[in-house]
Amino acid sequence: MFYYICLRRRSRSGTRGEALTSRRAVESGQRAVLPVSVEVEQYAKEVLDFSSHYGSENSMSYTMWNLAGVPNVYPSSGDFTQTAVFRAYGTWWEQCASAPPPFRRTPKGFHSQDYIELAFEEPVYPTAVEVLETYYPGAIVQILACSHNPFSQSPPTDVRWEVLWSGEPTKVLTPQARQFSPNIKHISFPTNLLRLEVNSSLLDYYTELDAVILRGVKERPMLALYKMPVIDINDLSDSEEELSDVGGPFRQGSDGKHQRTGNGYFDKLPYELIQLILSHLTLPDLCRLAQSCKLLHQHCCDPLQYTQLSLQPYWARLSDASLGHLQSRAPLLQRLNLSWTGNRGALTLTGFSSFLKACGPSLVCLELSCCHFLTEACLEVVSQTCPGLQELNLSSCDRLNPQAFTHISKLARLRRLVLYRTKIEVGTVNTSCIEHRNFNCYLSLLKIEDYDVVASMLAARCRSLCSLDLWRCRNLTDRGLAELVSGCKMLEELDLGWCPTLQSSTGCFQHLARNLPRLRKLFLTANRTVRDSDIEELASSCPSLQHLDILGTRLVSGASLKKLLQSCPKLVLLDVSFCSQIDMRVVQELSGLFPNVALKKSFTQ
Amino acid sequence: MLSVLSYGRLVARAVIGGLSQTDSRDYSLVTASCGFGKDFRKGILKKGMCYGDDACFIARHRSADVLGVADGVGGWRDYGVDPSQFSGTLMKTCERLVKEGRFVPSNPVGVLTTSYYELLQNKVPLLGSSTACIVVLDRQSHQLHTANLGDSGFLVVRGGEVVHRSDEQQHYFNTPFQLSIAPPEAEGAVLSDSPDAADSSSFDVQLGDIILTATDGLFDNMPDYMILQELKKLKNTNYESIQQTARSIAEQAHVLAYDPNYMSPFAQFACDNGLNVRGGKPDDITVLLSIVAEYTD
Repeated sequence: MFYYICLRRRSRSGTRGEALTSRRAVESGQRAVLPVSVEVEQYAKEVLDFSSHYGSENSMSYTMWNLAGVPNVYPSSGDFTQTAVFRAYGTWWEQCASAPPPFRRTPKGFHSQDYIELAFEEPVYPTAVEVLETYYPGAIVQILACSHNPFSQSPPTDVRWEVLWSGEPTKVLTPQARQFSPNIKHISFPTNLLRLEVNSSLLDYYTELDAVILRGVKERPMLALYKMPVIDINDLSDSEEELSDVGGPFRQGSDGKHQRTGNGYFDKLPYELIQLILSHLTLPDLCRLAQSCKLLHQHCCDPLQYTQLSLQPYWARLSDASLGHLQSRAPLLQRLNLSWTGNRGALTLTGFSSFLKACGPSLVCLELSCCHFLTEACLEVVSQTCPGLQELNLSSCDRLNPQAFTHISKLARLRRLVLYRTKIEVGTVNTSCIEHRNFNCYLSLLKIEDYDVVASMLAARCRSLCSLDLWRCRNLTDRGLAELVSGCKMLEELDLGWCPTLQSSTGCFQHLARNLPRLRKLFLTANRTVRDSDIEELASSCPSLQHLDILGTRLVSGASLKKLLQSCPKLVLLDVSFCSQIDMRVVQELSGLFPNVALKKSFTQ
Repeated sequence: MLSVLSYGRLVARAVIGGLSQTDSRDYSLVTASCGFGKDFRKGILKKGMCYGDDACFIARHRSADVLGVADGVGGWRDYGVDPSQFSGTLMKTCERLVKEGRFVPSNPVGVLTTSYYELLQNKVPLLGSSTACIVVLDRQSHQLHTANLGDSGFLVVRGGEVVHRSDEQQHYFNTPFQLSIAPPEAEGAVLSDSPDAADSSSFDVQLGDIILTATDGLFDNMPDYMILQELKKLKNTNYESIQQTARSIAEQAHVLAYDPNYMSPFAQFACDNGLNVRGGKPDDITVLLSIVAEYTD
């Protein structure tokens, strides 16, 4: 495979070159030779890490591994298998009742929902990054570069991430392909590890990416000497010191003498009001404010300010030391978000466990999505220190070995469990599911061979189950589904996308509709057997239906969809992509009759 | 002081070592393709490596050269399904698998299995069926690994003789083994063989070996001796001569297919089974002609 697509020799521009050469000539006293910089263009060599994707783990269809290498689709537009597609789009998933509320204090500049890390062959000083987007572009919100070379044998030390470009999520008017090439910042170290962060919330359908091109120069560009680095006030480059400077110069304050309380109006405001004002600050601001005066230091260190803590926006700089300095503020912590943090050695078991020991007793929600530093020992610490834990998210922790999940069974109060793309095994799931109320379970797993067993166990033990995600659970059959719907009658959200072994001819979908009157979300993506009778049964039995995805079936007609739309007034999302009987004429007719419904019809041009 | 025996042993070892120098060069396949769709006479041409309902691919990877042919089953046309979609997508998927290195050279059946699985991962509801034949040359080990499902196949010709060939897989007359994706209402009524049912083989090749991979449109119309006659005209290993020979084989088969009096292998087989027929068999013809040569980047 060739990752260099061209080597361009580019001589420096005349005026600057002349200035340099004349200087050199003066210095060396010799005839000067114009130096030449070589620009190197590379496609991604390997996809190292990502938060989610649409396809199956061992597949090359709609999976993140398609982002490496040369483009397969560009400049064509369309919904093709050879592109990289993330798991979700729009706000449909946030609208679900089972979605967790957003964390407070999320900084305004942080919009990222998903990420992907790419390694290139040669480290260069980047001059341009181009992303070839082939469907519904506009999702990229941040591009970062890392100082660590992922191909080096030595373990990562002093890993630095620089933001090359940051922007708002956009919505491009047409779903056509485009080459996205933002103006990137020049950085002071060579890099061959890029990270793209995306936010698809404004898009009408899944965004699809085909390739990423990194342009750069091998030698450090002379421009750096002439151009002042842009100092970004919002840059978090010194947040580490802020998070660590808890003590500061105020320790000397309490010396018994009469202290001047010169805090102005702050002395007149009630304690609770100052607390309320501070609750609107972002975490770095809160830490900076703690250094300003004694009164505000006391306020900013008050554990009541730290009932919710999201460290995800600061994933690039979070370390054991940071956690250590926040420990003293954590005893009332209820919701903790450590998603995306700690990779490449930034967090270790020591830092993690000491922090959890400080905040564990009160902890109710723990988000650990894409935390690759987690080991079995870490999960053991979680189970020991967080007895009251109700929500646990281990999405994409695909390096945890199956034994690690046995500790989950000790968490007796679990209501929400996300195991998307993890290696949990059947036996562990069985023991970890005890009777819960409102147990929401995301079970898109890698290693489970027999989902019928899981389904029947859920039916037996989790009778109040509200939301279940069985996306791509390949071996689920109508027997398991029948048991599930008979046992879990409170189900409101059920994702059965890409479960090919479910056959409508067994009546399983009609049985489902009749048994789940509270159903609000049903995904039957790529189940080619869904037919008119199933839609009609949904129309008569599930009046609360809001989201329905029946992508790829040939057996559903416009007439039954009309009945469904008439009977389900709350329906807002209906995906009929690749349904051969539902052509553009039918889509337009239905859109006209039911303007509140987002009818999705994807295409391959 | 060496004894006579040990000295003799040393000499023997040196001589034998010199004689059995194994060839450490990497091999490659220089391949040309040619074909005619059944509707060629009506002027209907398909894009790319598709000839009528047949499809083929040629792919290179660092470790191996891979070829494949697939014969789309025409009967789907009666049900409103374009038979070339399945065979074409199957071959394109195999090509992509090879280019991305998601295969093991010694396991060509794995290429078929993975490719078939990938077809099911497509959002687009594909329907149809086809035969498939995959030929992999492992550059370093000089072995030809093959997988064949159905009545397409390959020949390996050395010194003017067929030294290795594939076997046809038929359920019954004119019904070869086939990979298929059926519409849900027809499942059970449609023949669908698993990719694991493919025949596989491994064979040591030498420089200069000729490998002919083709769909049944060729083998049903041209007996071995005619094919070998054409192959004798192949003088050197450059691409142009291979292309010319492939073309002449395909053209000849195409002409014979429409000859009503010619006793084609297909007609012969039918007669052997009690059906009194004569003439060629109009069908899509796909020919991939390769020569084993030294690997040059």
